[in-house]
Order: sequence, then C-alpha cells, then structure tokens
Amino acid sequence: MTGRDFTESEFMICQCARLMEDGKIVFIGYGMPQIAAILAQRLHAPRMVQVYEFGAIGSLPETPFVRFTMGGPRNCYKSLAWTNMNTIFAQAQLGMVDLGVLGATQIDQFGNINSTMLGADYTHPKKRFPGSGGANEVLTQCWRTVVVIMHERRRFVTKVDFVTSPGYLDGTPGARERAGLPRGTGPWRVVTSKALYGFDEQSKRMSLLGVLRGVSVAEVLKEMEFAPHVAEKVEALEPPTPEELAVLRNEIDPARAVIGKTARS
Amino acid sequence: MEVLQEGVGEFTVGDPDELRAFMRTEKRREMVDKVMPEAEAVRRFVKDGDYVSFDFSSFTRGPASLIREIIRQRRRNLWFAAKFTLMESTLLAAGGCLRGIDVGFLGLGSLIGKAVEEGRIKVTEWTNGTLTLRHLAGAMGVPFLPTRNLLATDTLTYSGAKVVEDPFTRRPIALVPAVNPDVGLVHVHQCDVSGNARCFGPGVSPLETAMASKRTIISTEEIITTDDIRKEPSKTTIPYYVVDAVVYAPFGCLPGGAQGVYEMDTEHFLEYMAGSGDEQKMAAYLDKYIYSVASHEEFLEKRVGIAKLMDLKRQATIKEGYH
Repeated sequence: MTGRDFTESEFMICQCARLMEDGKIVFIGYGMPQIAAILAQRLHAPRMVQVYEFGAIGSLPETPFVRFTMGGPRNCYKSLAWTNMNTIFAQAQLGMVDLGVLGATQIDQFGNINSTMLGADYTHPKKRFPGSGGANEVLTQCWRTVVVIMHERRRFVTKVDFVTSPGYLDGTPGARERAGLPRGTGPWRVVTSKALYGFDEQSKRMSLLGVLRGVSVAEVLKEMEFAPHVAEKVEALEPPTPEELAVLRNEIDPARAVIGKTARS
Repeated sequence: MEVLQEGVGEFTVGDPDELRAFMRTEKRREMVDKVMPEAEAVRRFVKDGDYVSFDFSSFTRGPASLIREIIRQRRRNLWFAAKFTLMESTLLAAGGCLRGIDVGFLGLGSLIGKAVEEGRIKVTEWTNGTLTLRHLAGAMGVPFLPTRNLLATDTLTYSGAKVVEDPFTRRPIALVPAVNPDVGLVHVHQCDVSGNARCFGPGVSPLETAMASKRTIISTEEIITTDDIRKEPSKTTIPYYVVDAVVYAPFGCLPGGAQGVYEMDTEHFLEYMAGSGDEQKMAAYLDKYIYSVASHEEFLEKRVGIAKLMDLKRQATIKEGYH
C-alpha cells in the first residue's frame, strides 16, 4: 500500500474495532483481535467485556501491548474473573458471548472457514496448518462472528478444502439448525485488507458491503475465486482516522509488532 | 440412541471401571513426601507409547522443564494432547518422541506441519474446547460428554466424536470420548511435598488434567508447608491424592513465564521460532537447550544465566492476584 499512510493491518484492526459494540461480551482471539479490542475499549466501547479461551473475563490489558503472552499478567490485567477453558466455552454454549473474532486461512462463499489444511486429500495434505484451536467453538457458539482475513484470491474460494469451523454450510435455509448448531448464530462480517462483507439474508452467500475508500469494486472482485452477492449500495469504508492511528501507534503498539510499518514511518 | 455420524480419527477409549480400580489401588491416600528430581519422575512415570497431556501454555505456566526432560530421556511413540500448544508438540516431534497428536492447535513453526504432511506424525482432529472437554469427561469418570461444537465440519469427520440424536430434544448433538492420559504434566505456583497445589491466574484445565491423568507430575515454582495450604484452602487448585510426583522447578516454565513470578523470555522464544522451520536449526536448538545439559538446574545455570533470570524476575511487576 505505498502512498498510503496506514498499513493493511491497521485498516483491518480499525474495521474490526468499529464492529465491537460497547457493553457486549466479546471473545478475543490471538493477535489482531487483541489489538482491535483494546482500541475499541479506548475509543468507543469502554464497557465491552473481553473474554479469552483460557478463562480470563473482563481484562483491561496494559499497554503497550505485549506479543505472545496472551495469558500473562499484562494482558489479563484487572480482570473481573479468572476461570478456565471449560468454563468459557460453556458460557459461549449457554449463549452469553455476543461476538467472536477469528482469523482464517481460507473462507468460502457461505462463510465456512479453513484453518487446517490445503489439498484435496486430507490424508496427504499439501500444506498443514495448526487446525481449529478455539475457532470451531467461536463460529459455532458466539451470536455473531467476525472473520479477519487478508484479501487474496487464494483465500476467497468457492469451497474450502477443509471445513474447520462452520459457516452457513451449503447455504440451504436452516442448514446450521438442521445440523444441530445453535439457532441464530453464524458468520456475521468478514473484514479484509480491502473490503467488508456480510452475508445475504436469503442466499446466505457472502455479500460485499463496503470497499476501502479509493478502491474499486472491480478491484476487490478480481481478488476472489467466487462472485459474491453485492449490496445495492456499496459503502466507502473510511481509512483509519488520525485518532485511531494515534492510539494504535502511540499507546497500544509503539513497537509496531502487529500493526506493521508504513513506507513513510 | 441413533448414531448419525462417526468420526474416523484414531483414539482409544478406556473402561471406566478399570479406571476406578486403578485410582483405588494406584493413587496413594497417605499424604507422603512425593518430591523427586525431574529425571526420576520422568523415568518412573513416562513410558514409551504413553498418552501425554499438559497445562497451560508454552508462554504461560507451562511445564517446559518436564517436557525437556522427556525429550532428554528420549521417550518414543508418545501421543500428545495439543490443547493449547505452541512449542511443546514441535519440540517433542523434533526430539523424535511423538507417534501422534490430538490436535486442538497443532503448534507453531513449519516443521510440525511438514511432519504431518509427510505422514511421520499421525493426527486426530479436535478443537481446543472439545479436547479440554474430553479431559473433563476423563476427570469425571464418565465415558463421554455431549457438546454442540464440532457439528457439520470436517474437523468432526476426522475426529473421534460421534453425532447422535439427543434422546431429550431429538436434535443432533456431538459426543466426545473421555481421555484419561497416561501422564499429565502441570506446572504450579506453589505446592506442598505431597502435591496439594495452587495455580494462580487463568488456565486451560489444571484440575481436569491432573484428575483425568493416571499419573500426574507436578512441577512447582515453590514448595510450601501443608500448614500453609490448610490456612487458605480456597487457594488449592489440585488435591494431593491425584498427584504422583512433585518436582521442584523454579523457572520451570522458561522460555514461558509464570504469572507474577517472572516474565516470558521473548529472546529465547524468537530463537526457537527461527529454528522451527528448519530441521538442522531445530536439532541445534535441542542440543543446546536439552541434550547438552543434564538437568533443569544445569539449563538455568549454563543456558540462561543469573543475569537473565534476574531480568525476567524484575520484569514481573504485576503481582495482583498471583499470590
């Protein structure tokens, strides 16, 4: 993104943060979602409650953010409760977790995600990745799930090589409920380095809602293996604001370990 | 109960009455001194072919010194529960210790991925949550527990879960089999000599892992008196009678941290990451930090050093809640 004064990561983090509402209980995954959550809490969602799969509830992470030690004292600072994994996933299953945020290797037109392997044959994977982690629980149980992914054609595929975590499955009405998945759940938004997607109410297909200001719809569609549903009015997504960038760069990640560096900085 | 779908992943399921009989005869009821060197604990309680589980993570309160000892003693054909794993599975694989992995999260670095791609290590798919739920089932002495996770995914297809029609609601539900590891490894902040143990801060499943495991090895930052334990019983995470060995291992989580005691050694972790995609570099890493030192004590003395230990301890300025 030469010529821009923000990084792709910063744009993805800001989009993600803007989707986090005040007063909600939000499941936070490793890396970008952690940064987005701190940003949201600083700017518009001070009463948002972060929960982590290893059992921390309501932490107010210390900044600057430290990489790696998600379960350590700086990130779990001033929590309301320290529990454990079975407790947190039970609470998600109970319906207490409003929003989850996840990364993925591949996503398909119905929002099924793959973080396990590439290739046609599971027993002989072309490339093996870490697998579900807690992603399957998040996409199964949270009321809404945001998937964060780089906008690359190889990642936006018609059908994922392996369904690690369930989206709207084959897109038929009621597919999730028929399979026994909790009613009214599923992927809600897909945040990328260029665009924002939702899912069409009827067809359950991924639906282009917005593109980064200055990027064309055609440019985004070119970077996808399938043709998504396109909203009647595609919104122009604001780049990171000076306020967002100041908090990210000065308070949260001054070492730029996660947000990255721009050509100018 | 009608079985609607069955995963094809490899797993074993035990007999709950045999488990009870084991717990009755093999777990000591006397509060005896179980402190022993790590070499002895691993020699006595970790056998080739065992199923091994641990708590909590590579970065925070993980039993890193015990994992290193298993590699040092060159155990073979282990099956490992990777429920919140970043480094352990890769280190064990690089040390030639593993036959298979139950995958919650496989691990960091391309070496472990390559081992799976080439079929050198078998995997069964689970998720962090369902693998941890299997430990809860194991800890409860029931053969399985139900969950609404896993449904309608390839993860389920390659797991050992079964989907049944729930006899109460008539909806599909997944059942995951109990796991009773041969050995559980848990690092704790404090314990007494018989194994009454305290973990501070959040965690994955210290109690479930200790209860479910046939043999539980505790490594600890600090040994305290039983009197101290009795003064504040609400702080006890694990009762002594599920514990088989206590290993005194200050700084035992390194390169990870122990909350409130010392911070993670990021420099060391980056050295591991640099080697985690390259077999020669990983072999050199294992040689430097495991094979060329005889014990955890020698690791601290010769490979970490007083200056680094003091620095990591100094960095642990947040103490609230960790005592």
